[in-house]
Amino acid sequence: MDLSIIDQLLKLLEIPFSSILMIEISIIFLLLYIFLVYNEKRESKKVKVFLSAIIIFFISALIFYFSDDVEFVLTEIIKTIMNCFYFPNIIFYFSTVIISLIMIIYTMLSSKLTKFNKIITYTFTLLHLFLFTNFITYAIINKTNLTNTANIYQNDNMYIIVFFSQILFFIIIIYKAIYHFCYIRKEKLKNINESDIMFRK
Amino acid sequence: MQRKNRNLKSQLFKVGFFFLIIGLLIFFSPTLIKIKEEVFEEMRLAIFQMNINKDNTTINDVNTENLVITNEETQILKEEPKQEKKTTYSYIGELNIPAIRLKRGFVSKESKYNDINYNITIANEADYPDVPAGNFILMAHSGNAYISFFDKLYKLQIGDQASVSYNANTYNYHLVKVYNQPKTGKVTIYRNSYVKTLTLITCTHEDDYNQTIYIFEEI
Repeated sequence: MDLSIIDQLLKLLEIPFSSILMIEISIIFLLLYIFLVYNEKRESKKVKVFLSAIIIFFISALIFYFSDDVEFVLTEIIKTIMNCFYFPNIIFYFSTVIISLIMIIYTMLSSKLTKFNKIITYTFTLLHLFLFTNFITYAIINKTNLTNTANIYQNDNMYIIVFFSQILFFIIIIYKAIYHFCYIRKEKLKNINESDIMFRK
Repeated sequence: MQRKNRNLKSQLFKVGFFFLIIGLLIFFSPTLIKIKEEVFEEMRLAIFQMNINKDNTTINDVNTENLVITNEETQILKEEPKQEKKTTYSYIGELNIPAIRLKRGFVSKESKYNDINYNITIANEADYPDVPAGNFILMAHSGNAYISFFDKLYKLQIGDQASVSYNANTYNYHLVKVYNQPKTGKVTIYRNSYVKTLTLITCTHEDDYNQTIYIFEEI
């Protein structure tokens, strides 16, 4: 931790040669890299499939070898996501509010979005902001310390406000993701069709 | 024709993706429910810990300069209204077994949530951890359900440590004995009656007809 940046870089170069297993892993990764780069010139579909299979096999082997740790890590990731949803701390909650604000401003200024999309965005984001103002007002009235997450959720009213604003926020995010996913694909298809027509002409 | 095919492919891709997500959610729903329970449990424990810290601060902040000494009778009279039956979900203590990453709270014996379907349950015959040479008995399910709080107890080995936080004190124990008994609705506990004990009872791992008893003694 207290090493200088040059020492850290030297250590980093030494680590792959510290044991035979580490050297083997380094060679595998180097070969994979060379194959991937070389295949960019050849563009062989067979090699792509073969390399994908090798990468999946290699990752699966690692997961199988460290199954307990992988399970623990995955559980912790899901736990963190659930914690962000059910019991977000004030920083996360405040970040969602900032995202909502940006969304409103972007929707107001954008001319690409449909009216329906704009109405949906306004409805959900304004409701989200309304609940946030309720949350802040409630905290001020009850003199709640917002820095302690447990202190917030001890109060049922505050928990309900945060829970419903999280639901609204996640709905709008999912809606936006699906909308853009469909919109981009639609635009792509449109472009392909237009280029087809041009080609035929 | 080509355009129609592409649109159909695109629609199929969306529908397929949607069903894939739904299928994955259904497949992993028991695990997700269990993790959700853990998340809620951690928050309850955080609230419990916070209240303990608050109580400790209150005790430390007592101003002794203007303290009025009262006799025992008046104290008893003042304390009487507090003895109401608790029906809230607030924890009175916490069981912690680091070896299997188990951390879970328990409610008082009188609480309606002192039930095997909600929490780790304190047996009616149990003494609380602050009783000298007492036996604190806890029970819970094991298996795959989200209420299977003792599902990893079978991984414990003799010597593994456990701790119980109760009344702002922590009691440390180590595992001394593990034995099985048939499930007959009754349990016989073999323990050293001169030592403070923690007893954990759950169903035997992958066995429908037996129950396992884990005896911990105070360190």
